[in-house]
Amino acid sequence: MTAPVMLEGVNHWFGGHHALRDVALQIGAGEYLTLLGPSGCGKTTLLSVLGGFVVPDAGRVLIGGQDVTGVPPARRPTTTVFQDYALFPHMTLRDNVAFGLRMGGVGRTERHRRAEAQLALVGLEGAAGKRPHELSGGQRQRVALARALAVGPEVLLLDEPLGALDLKLRRAMQDELKAIQRKVGTTFVHVTHDQEEAMAIADRIVVMNAGRIEDDGPPSRVYLRPATLFAADFMGEMNHIPALDGETVFGRVPGAPPGRATVCLRPEALTTGPGDLRIGRARVRDAAFFGAHVRAHVLPEAAPDMVLVAHLPPPRVPQPGEVLDLSAEAGSVCIFGAP
Amino acid sequence: MKVWSWVYLLAAFGFIYLPVAVLVLFSFQGGRLPVPPFDGPSLQWYAEVLADRDLMAALWNSALVGAGSSVVAVTLGFLAAYGLARFVLPGAVWVRALLIAPMSVSYLIVGLGLLIVLTRAGLGLSLWTAAAGHVVINLPLAFAIIYAAMGAQQQNAERAARDLGADEVQVIWLVTVPMLAPAIGAAFFLAMTFSWDEFIIAFLLTRFDVTLPVEIWSTLQSGLSPKVNAVGSLVFLVSVGVVLLAEALVFRRRR
Repeated sequence: MTAPVMLEGVNHWFGGHHALRDVALQIGAGEYLTLLGPSGCGKTTLLSVLGGFVVPDAGRVLIGGQDVTGVPPARRPTTTVFQDYALFPHMTLRDNVAFGLRMGGVGRTERHRRAEAQLALVGLEGAAGKRPHELSGGQRQRVALARALAVGPEVLLLDEPLGALDLKLRRAMQDELKAIQRKVGTTFVHVTHDQEEAMAIADRIVVMNAGRIEDDGPPSRVYLRPATLFAADFMGEMNHIPALDGETVFGRVPGAPPGRATVCLRPEALTTGPGDLRIGRARVRDAAFFGAHVRAHVLPEAAPDMVLVAHLPPPRVPQPGEVLDLSAEAGSVCIFGAP
Repeated sequence: MKVWSWVYLLAAFGFIYLPVAVLVLFSFQGGRLPVPPFDGPSLQWYAEVLADRDLMAALWNSALVGAGSSVVAVTLGFLAAYGLARFVLPGAVWVRALLIAPMSVSYLIVGLGLLIVLTRAGLGLSLWTAAAGHVVINLPLAFAIIYAAMGAQQQNAERAARDLGADEVQVIWLVTVPMLAPAIGAAFFLAMTFSWDEFIIAFLLTRFDVTLPVEIWSTLQSGLSPKVNAVGSLVFLVSVGVVLLAEALVFRRRR
């Protein structure tokens, strides 16, 4: 099952803290959406609003066209995979996964059969009789996913589901989550603060900051052409070059607004070849080998106080003090006016 | 040094258990007085205890009052702990303090207070009133034990259960209670042993049907006899049994 989600003018306060500010968002049926942002940005609050754990002070939540703003979690077509999994320690995996079906009045034989099918879907066939404490972190994560999917929700909410896993397992689970989502077709809304995770799984990324939506779009668009300076910085490393009336220390940047502005360049946009925007000669301060690229801090001669980060092609690692001739393509530049 | 720590340990346990050991030993006395020299072993006093209908009735009464009052105290304590741990209530600190406060009131005062109230209200004294008294003294204990065991882990599991469609009764019955079973069990067995041993309140609040400690006290009125030792040994045996049962049922599961 799957359904579209619509949020209209959602505002929420915790005491004096404005946790959600005029959030409007549409999520298509079957879409995999990630809410990305630093801790305290309101992404988890927004997920709680979708799950029914928080009733917003203002605004509406519609799932499948139905207004569910005040509907409690138990009666919503949503289920949540909690950050700490929240499995029932006193039940077997079968009973854990079958819990929602049991609440829905499904008979024992039928719900056990469906629970075992769900466990098989997440790669835990044959473990139905085990208890949560016998499992590894990654396996508990899978059980939590199976339990939330077993009731056939229209929207599945995932609250930093991979946060407790080590990096390698997290990358593997990302691929698996995406594969499972493709298979079941349910709308997934996934909260994370890891932009790589967001890019790895999402059809669409919503970047949040201070209770507001900063950017909303497919991963490549949000990375390459972010809507705001915050989104630009949060999606990955960014070089900031100040500009005044379109003029920077590196010359004129076409398309810059009048007044103060920030010209942004991704480290990988800096190349040693020719380009529209000439950075010119720059001295290497230090450089390190990262496998797919060499990350270097360089000090441009045109602006010796400025430190730029450049991703250079491997495997050659430049020595400190070496001078490079750098430039960038105009198409890789993002410009943000002063706030 | 090492020798002294062993001596200390043995002295401490001797201090605790020697009186009980002497009591049990002289319950097997052959003669009429539970004083040295020991001239048993004999089971005659146990035979007499088991044949004594008043004592047996009192034993049964004690079991009823203990089990009944403990079930009520633990149920009320659990509900109070659940409410205070899960919901933000005005004056929760004061409510908590009020719930724990009876622990600091002596049993004599609790018993006298209840006696005055019951007499004024015109309610007759019975096993029910004694059980009510035991609920009063055991409720704070049950509340404190269960409240201390409630943490974020159950809270998250409860939230997950609600998310999956459970109503409030199902959440409590299928998630909270099973997850807190060790604490609930510990509270129940402790309340049970306290009620089983309790004398003052039971003495003040019972009349015709009495609990075992009250019956033992009236037996003692007629002087020392190995029969009292035999009853005492049986009481001790039951207490030990309850503790072992608690150990087996409750604390084993915690591992």
